[in-house]
Amino acid sequence: MDVLEIIKGRRSVRSFSDKAIPKESLYAILEAGIWAPSGSNIQPWEFILVDDPGLIKKVKLVSPGLYGLPKALIVLCFNKKRSEKAGRIGPSLAVMDISMAAQNMMLMAYSLGIGSCPIASFNKIALKELLSIPEEVEPVLMVSLGYPSRWPEPPHRRPIEEVVHLNVYGQNLRR
Amino acid sequence: MSMAKISEDEHFQLLAFLLTSARGCVDEPAIYGPLRLIDAAERLINIIEGKHQRKVVELEEIRELIQKARDYVVTNEEEFIKALDQLTLKISRIIKRDVITFGPTNSQYTKNGK
Ligand SMILES: Cc1cc2nc3c(=O)[nH]c(=O)nc-3n(C[C@H](O)[C@H](O)[C@H](O)COP(=O)(O)O)c2cc1C
Repeated sequence: MDVLEIIKGRRSVRSFSDKAIPKESLYAILEAGIWAPSGSNIQPWEFILVDDPGLIKKVKLVSPGLYGLPKALIVLCFNKKRSEKAGRIGPSLAVMDISMAAQNMMLMAYSLGIGSCPIASFNKIALKELLSIPEEVEPVLMVSLGYPSRWPEPPHRRPIEEVVHLNVYGQNLRR
Repeated sequence: MSMAKISEDEHFQLLAFLLTSARGCVDEPAIYGPLRLIDAAERLINIIEGKHQRKVVELEEIRELIQKARDYVVTNEEEFIKALDQLTLKISRIIKRDVITFGPTNSQYTKNGK
């Protein structure tokens, strides 16, 4: 698969089959995450891999945006102590860094036939309690992982001509 | 005093869902409020059918509509609202008739004794 095919084929998957994810695949997905770019290469992230089925169910209880029963979850957090190195802009840069790591992970997963979904709708207080996340570490996004029981239809995208401005704002790009 | 594991209890699961959704709704897009409510409604259908150990024809129709509505949340708000209208019409018809129809015994319920 070429890169654009992987980018366009990835979908947010919200129902998963019972098939287990091989350890090597999870490792490859995490590795894709750490190779994301980050502001000043600070790498403020901490990733928590949750693969214990009992714990996944508990995380689901406090995550209204988590659909289906995935085989694994990656909780992407940033470490405030690390992000401080980027100055006052640190926390917002950290969110960008984490988003890039998450996308890398989801594309890697898709290239391995594994479905994923980014999830922001979870309760941070509850998640910190359940996973013993220390005060200085802030969970930002979760990525659920599992083989899909079905691949959803691609949702609508705004066309390039509408989204992209050529040289000056408001000037359309034409093919 | 006796103790019991609670996280597998469907009512408790709904309780956790409602409380965490309540907090989420403060910050999230307004349309996520009705989304959480129909998700909770689907969980209630599971609880009702579990109690009767049967699928309920009318509730399965509602479930199907909920699933359709959910797909519309991020794709087509107008269709989402239309589906909510259909859901309220369906529930009011059940209330009016005050009768539900059981489907065949579902192995899902008999097997686990759920
Ligand atoms: C930052 C972010 C947060 C999201 N949070 C959730 C979520 O909590 N639950 C969910 O089901 N989907 C969530 N999504 C997935 C979006 O709904 C999805 O990406 C969008 O509808 C486009 O669909 P696609 O990913 O299949 O292309 C999130 C996506 C992003 C980027």
